[in-house]
Amino acid sequence: MPELRKDMVTGRWVILSTERSKRPDDFRPPESFGVKKESLSFCPFCPGNESKTPPEVYSVRDDHTGPNQPGWKIRVVPNKFPALQPGPPSTKKLRGVNQWMEGTGVHEVIIETPDHSQEMADLELEHLAELIRVFRLRTIEIEEQYHHQYIQIFKNKGKEAGASLFHPHSQLIATPIVPKRIKEEIYGAERLFRNNFRECAFCRMLNEEMSSSERLVYRNERFVVLAPFASRFPFEMAIYPLEHSAFFRQITDEESRHLAEALKQALSRLKAQLSDPAFNLVVHHSPNPKVSNKAWPGIDSYYHWHIELMPILTKVAGFELGTGFYINPVPPELAADYLRKKLRIKS
Amino acid sequence: MKKILVVEDEKMLGLLYEEELTKEGYEVVVVHDADAAMDRVKSEQFDLIVTDIRMPGKDGIELIASIMGMRKDIPIIINTAYQSYKDDFMTWAADAYIIKSSSLDELKEKIKELLQES
Repeated sequence: MPELRKDMVTGRWVILSTERSKRPDDFRPPESFGVKKESLSFCPFCPGNESKTPPEVYSVRDDHTGPNQPGWKIRVVPNKFPALQPGPPSTKKLRGVNQWMEGTGVHEVIIETPDHSQEMADLELEHLAELIRVFRLRTIEIEEQYHHQYIQIFKNKGKEAGASLFHPHSQLIATPIVPKRIKEEIYGAERLFRNNFRECAFCRMLNEEMSSSERLVYRNERFVVLAPFASRFPFEMAIYPLEHSAFFRQITDEESRHLAEALKQALSRLKAQLSDPAFNLVVHHSPNPKVSNKAWPGIDSYYHWHIELMPILTKVAGFELGTGFYINPVPPELAADYLRKKLRIKS
Repeated sequence: MKKILVVEDEKMLGLLYEEELTKEGYEVVVVHDADAAMDRVKSEQFDLIVTDIRMPGKDGIELIASIMGMRKDIPIIINTAYQSYKDDFMTWAADAYIIKSSSLDELKEKIKELLQES
């Protein structure tokens, strides 16, 4: 019989098929799936084409090279055609009964490597740690300079996940409001802290997950990779810092190295065990401290930043869109067991 | 006289661009698909290219990639009815992205600006 499970923080329910009508191998996408290294002869993110992007706002590059020239390892540029127009946060206004505001924000693209064909999973650990440091630095800079309420760091990999270009890149969008999904997590975590646990609900969950290990995919000294109890998608994973922290911006260089290791493990397992599927990766963290400390006093005690990794192996359709219920045909215990299989990962 | 290549599959629109841009003092060549555009780019010198995206055969994005493979210094303007292609990072190869409208003022302004820069 299918099982319904509730995500304790968001209150979202999922339907898990425990009949195991499909085996993990059934989810290997066909060879043609995903954005392959495109046959187009030009890539605006490749070295030598820096003039085709807006001027960089940050880069990690060789000492003897100047901005907007080749010689970079990681490059951050504003989106040439951004989802939100650059500018300070606007205020909410009313149009009849409806609220609206000017679409200002910050939209940046982080080009992860000069190598067009090197996926995030293939980056060397030190490079991946550097990339995490860049995410942190841009978060701090934008929060302090522009005062936007929330910064969403995300990555779309593969056509099915919304990527239009193979060249490895992530994005960052700073929004003038705190998005609903983030608010749901914050309110849920606050409610559980106040009414139930008197401690961070995520920390409580991590303790339980580590003692049972059935949904554990990987752990190191500082981070853990899990298949969440109420996974919405087959082989969904979440990466949590073991030490409680609400703010991604507080990650240290040492923690960045451990996160790089955990992220590489998660991505490499996905790539090797499931034939390199498309995926979305999102960082969920506390809103800008200037906003969150006022709106949610004590957020640093009850919220816990994390990364969600969602492979695209099934389609979200009418039922999911209509109800917010997800149907997941692979129980997370089975997914974790499959993803834990021994893997030789080059560092 | 600056020479502009316009790639537009709708013939009537192509005629309109030709007439309007000629009035602005440019030499205008109009073609109706990406292959014809590539043939012209290979054999002639243009100062600027204006291209539609959604066209029969190769689309405007493939065309831009092919042109960039040969020459990166020609300014390119994407002129499309669709906002959604802005999500495609390949459009970054172009210098401007204009949504088609009944007025050609924005297109003319952008052409002037890019030709002054080049």
